[in-house]
Amino acid sequence: MFAYIVRRMLHMLLVVFVISLIIFFSIRLTGDPVSVMFSTGEASKEAIEAVRANLGLDKPLPVQYAIFIKGLLTFDFGESFRSGMPVTTLIMERAWATLSLALGGIVVAILIAFPVGILSAVKRGSGVDFFGRIFSLVGISFPNFWLGIMLILVFAVYLQWLPASGFDSFQHLILPSITLGMILSGILARLVRSSMLEVLNQQYISTAKSKGISEWSVIMKHGFRNALLPTVTFLGLQFGSLLGGTVIVEQVFSWPGIGTLIIDAINQRDYPVIQGGVIFLAIIMVVVNLLVDLSYTLIDPRIKTGKEA
Amino acid sequence: MKKLKLRTVSLLMVLVMFLAACSGGGSEQGQGNTKKNESNPVTDRGNEIVIGVTAEPQNWDPIDTFLLDWSTVANSVFEGLMERTLDLELKPGLAESYEYLDDTTLEFKLREGIEFHNGEPFNAEAVKFSFDRLLGEEGQKGPQYSNYTSIDSVEVIDDFTVQFKLNTPDPVLLTKLAGYGAVIVPPKYVQEEGDENFNNNPVGTGPFKMTEYKRDQTIVLEKNENYWQEGLPKLDKVTFKVVPEASTRLAELQTGKIDIMKRVEVAQADSVKDSGFLELKEVGTPTVYALRFDTAKAPVDDVRVRQAINYAIDKTAILEEIMGGYGMPISTFQSELSFGNNPDLEPYPYDPEKAKQLLKEAGVAEGTALDVYIPGDDGNFKEIAQAVAFYLEEAGLKMNINSVDQTTLISDLIPNAEAGHMYRMGWGGWTLDFDNTAYLMYHEGEQWNPSFKDEKVEELLAAQRNTVDQDEREAIFKELTEVLYELAPEVNLYQAVDLYAVNNRVKNFQPPHEDRLRLEEVTVE
Repeated sequence: MFAYIVRRMLHMLLVVFVISLIIFFSIRLTGDPVSVMFSTGEASKEAIEAVRANLGLDKPLPVQYAIFIKGLLTFDFGESFRSGMPVTTLIMERAWATLSLALGGIVVAILIAFPVGILSAVKRGSGVDFFGRIFSLVGISFPNFWLGIMLILVFAVYLQWLPASGFDSFQHLILPSITLGMILSGILARLVRSSMLEVLNQQYISTAKSKGISEWSVIMKHGFRNALLPTVTFLGLQFGSLLGGTVIVEQVFSWPGIGTLIIDAINQRDYPVIQGGVIFLAIIMVVVNLLVDLSYTLIDPRIKTGKEA
Repeated sequence: MKKLKLRTVSLLMVLVMFLAACSGGGSEQGQGNTKKNESNPVTDRGNEIVIGVTAEPQNWDPIDTFLLDWSTVANSVFEGLMERTLDLELKPGLAESYEYLDDTTLEFKLREGIEFHNGEPFNAEAVKFSFDRLLGEEGQKGPQYSNYTSIDSVEVIDDFTVQFKLNTPDPVLLTKLAGYGAVIVPPKYVQEEGDENFNNNPVGTGPFKMTEYKRDQTIVLEKNENYWQEGLPKLDKVTFKVVPEASTRLAELQTGKIDIMKRVEVAQADSVKDSGFLELKEVGTPTVYALRFDTAKAPVDDVRVRQAINYAIDKTAILEEIMGGYGMPISTFQSELSFGNNPDLEPYPYDPEKAKQLLKEAGVAEGTALDVYIPGDDGNFKEIAQAVAFYLEEAGLKMNINSVDQTTLISDLIPNAEAGHMYRMGWGGWTLDFDNTAYLMYHEGEQWNPSFKDEKVEELLAAQRNTVDQDEREAIFKELTEVLYELAPEVNLYQAVDLYAVNNRVKNFQPPHEDRLRLEEVTVE
């Protein structure tokens, strides 16, 4: 087990290195941070060159890359061109907002999708199943900015039950979580339904039923637990991408998350922030993946990690 | 039977969901002009207001910024020797008076008895420190420095007298001294607490002091009790809330969570007007939009073709139909607020026959294709581009619209002359003097001028820089605008109008032309 984790950590280093190469060079393909800086002001060509030199952008690319890697080894991503703040500080300021929104979305998705998916599978072909499948389809098809704005209109403007935007209290978390969770629950409910169906057709289910165990006990203990495996994989991967990929929801609800930080940085070509943000997300993604793999052993004791598997 | 019932129920629920969604969208549009009879949702906010803004600058140090979002807040925190009023008049601010001793020496008498928010005194030393910082190593790293290179040094004559020594006459200097980079900062505070602290905790002499700053969320300003102008400011507290999405910002306004909304979109104007407790305020800005030509590329290297395209487009119709009338026509690449604007020039009229005739004279074949580059994040401009494509088709030209990332367009494609035959250009011109805009747009070799060159234009550009006599400069600009009008280096589309929505509990709020909110006179009911 320990050796397995160490090996995975080494993989992670490789992943981060490759990503550092890709991100460093790809963001330099188009655009120029210094021109952007002046695009709403007025500046002569000389002034632009001077600022470029001050930011170290006049150095050859390999030298700039070396500086970046050197900082990376000590988790120092440099300072934002725009705010002058250390990138690490900027990321940490937003980590909590991002984490709570991703968790909120996952929780809402689970609360909706598990009952819907399980009921659909158990009552396959019934009205419940029909409704469940329509629900998933609608969930998948909703554009999330539209859903977000509709929720604001209904719950913030008309009913005035919840705040429309901001990041201050638990109430503020509800609408963005529902927006994110609804979209996610569409796919998740389908996944739960199909894995449940697969499991429920197994012979051991019939055996359990014939032993006289109550129906729901069979479904939950024998059925659901076994159907959980693909679901956990899916949720793990989704959680990773939710950390950086909630930009639209963040935008609608004025949520100060890492996704918005990176998008703003891309628009400004704020290289240190883009590099730091992407590397940070990559690390999270790899760690989440590892945790997902480890969780398999908890759900299904037959799965072993390491060489003996 | 049971199955059938369930199916009906679920179908009904889906139907209800869709209906709810539809009616939600519909009622936002508003019908007609009758004000709704709604009660004001703000009842218990006291002597405070909340302002919903689109973004914040991330950095409050005046020498590190160039963003309008900075000035929206920081204009209440910092002050310069000169100030520009809401009506765009220049007058002494922290200075009591000024005098040009000669073409390159400008002397300021300072107001006495003013303190920074931290208690430091404002005096000649503080002025010298602020400009040494702006013009020195620290300032040269930032985007403000380049506006102030005509200043050679600032000298302290006595505690409340300073002299600016210039290395060249600068006709726009007084305006620039009312600009972002020229505000006066507290020397001891900046030196002792360091630069990073100053980025996040700005201290100035303004009517409000910043007491809280949560990045990308909220900024809180509180009344400066020791403000040098008697009886001001009138509010106790102003909170800025960052809400990037326009429809969310409007929701916050409708529910009374904010009192003033910046950047109301054209499509939202009617629902603000319909509301019983909101007021829509519009104000002309210095920002202008044009489709610029790459004058090095055939066929738009021919002035007749450029004029033809100008005649072919009905700009009035575009303004009315797409911009809802919120915009003003322009004849050259500057707003009516700009010094150097020529009110005698009428924009090119819509004359499709003349356009066809000019294209024929220039020998442009029917169906010739032009590439047009526009930024992908501007919804209104996409519609404008489609309208332009329609008009050009009428004139016998084909237009390919390329929608690209705004940053790539402005910082890469345009400077490298890779933005097709025409591209969208928006320009602010904060000095409100045609000098800056004209120089950077038409002087050969400038960053955003990859191809235009004309000897007469160069001559006039140089001439207006060599004098501080404003009458003479006005005459030169008159000639310059006429020359540019004939050369038609762009299709000038419109001057932007800013829309603000204000809760009617807020009184004495006048929207600024250039995003620099002034709040000291604002009161609440």
